[in-house]
Amino acid sequence: MSRFTRKVRQWTAQLFDLPQEMMLEVPRLSMIGNRQLFIENHRGVIHFSSELMRLALSAGELEVRGQNLVIKGIWTEEVFIEGDILEVKLHGMEGQWS
Amino acid sequence: MKPPATAKWRGYVRIAVRGKHTEQLINELYTQEISIWDISRLGEDQVSMMLMLPDFFRLRPLLRRTGCRVHVLERYGLPFSLRQLSKRSFFASGLLLFLLGLYMLSSLVWTIEVKGNERIHTEQILEAAKKEGVFPFQWSFRLKKMDEISKEIHAQLPDATWIGVSKQGTKIMIHVVESAVPDSKKLVNPRNLVAKVDAVVTQIIASQGKAVVRPNTRVKKGNVLISGIIGSTDMPRIVPAQGTVKGLVWHEYNISVPFLTKEKTFTGAYKERQYIQLGDRRLQVSGYGGIEFANYEIIEEEEQAGVSRIKLPIKWVHEKIMEVAEVAKERSEDEAVRVGLEQAHADIAAKYGGDSRIVTEKILHQKADNGKVNLKVLFEVEQSIAVEQPIVSAPEDLRQGD
Repeated sequence: MSRFTRKVRQWTAQLFDLPQEMMLEVPRLSMIGNRQLFIENHRGVIHFSSELMRLALSAGELEVRGQNLVIKGIWTEEVFIEGDILEVKLHGMEGQWS
Repeated sequence: MKPPATAKWRGYVRIAVRGKHTEQLINELYTQEISIWDISRLGEDQVSMMLMLPDFFRLRPLLRRTGCRVHVLERYGLPFSLRQLSKRSFFASGLLLFLLGLYMLSSLVWTIEVKGNERIHTEQILEAAKKEGVFPFQWSFRLKKMDEISKEIHAQLPDATWIGVSKQGTKIMIHVVESAVPDSKKLVNPRNLVAKVDAVVTQIIASQGKAVVRPNTRVKKGNVLISGIIGSTDMPRIVPAQGTVKGLVWHEYNISVPFLTKEKTFTGAYKERQYIQLGDRRLQVSGYGGIEFANYEIIEEEEQAGVSRIKLPIKWVHEKIMEVAEVAKERSEDEAVRVGLEQAHADIAAKYGGDSRIVTEKILHQKADNGKVNLKVLFEVEQSIAVEQPIVSAPEDLRQGD
């Protein structure tokens, strides 16, 4: 996405009061306690083990650390992770909003 | 993640995937819209996941592309249980036989109920139904249509106005509406109506025949009131005479009423006894000791033991023994006369019919002695006085009428 397109989309999202993740292809994460994590707008699994999971995003990647991680379900847009989640980290997204 | 709604029917499996690029396989799977759930890592290069059975057969090209190997860990759902069932042939055939038996038994006609018939015999209706193929232990799929059956049965029963056949499960109900047949007329012989007693005619209505007497005529016992011979003297006809004739009749009554009457009254004192009765034998439970009353009456109540409608030969008997005192009452003469007349009224109504009417009553003689009053009363009663008398010997030239 070019810088210009992103700006336009951000502006429209604000104008029409739309959820940003719909317009901007950014991930949306819902987390319930430290047990469940629901990620929308992912771009595939890079690594998966019971301690570490890395997901590709439209820009950068998401890193989840924990214990006994299980993918409860996976679809083209969403991933549903369960386990004892300890860390959620984002990589490679610096300077997106400048 | 729960398995999809139809998973139990279509079957699903837990598989183990071994290979270097398991993440790539997962990505491939969901992009191909193969639903997978409960993915967990088993070892360094091994992942387990749940998968629908139809999707399992779409796995092969993807496995080749990513260089993974697969084997099935667990199997769930109907296709697998069916396969297991086919191994136990006796169990499977038993299950099938049971279902078949249940279906067969429920498709039999077990009972036939006939409702609404009073004059037509149930056997007759069942016989007619049997001819139309409706009988117990008949297959219900061999029955004709219900309206057709009711039509056919109706054709066999001319006395029925309507027949309705309905089926409720294994029961066939036959509703019968009987045709109302008017009562056949009583055949009567040619007759006259004659006077029963000596009387003065007050009212005469001839519905058939010829009224011979008029009101206010004095008639003697045996006089013809309504004649059965009608028509002119040249062309007479004989008919059964019908009609009502009322007349005034005198009845004399000798009544004697005592002044003194005895009445029974309960004093209020009572004693209770209770028994258990087994068959014919009674066992007293309470109320021992003799009865101290000189005169008494026993009121008995029984309670039948039983389970729903079945009666057991056990009874609970409750006796109430109530003391009775006789009270003598003295009546006045007027009261005694009133009682005597009342008795006479009741006697007249009973003897001469409910439509009889007392026109006048006259006390001819009244005398009180020996503790009672003697009455001689004359009643003038208006009552039916006609009685039938068959016409036995008709003149030869008389033709029989209707």
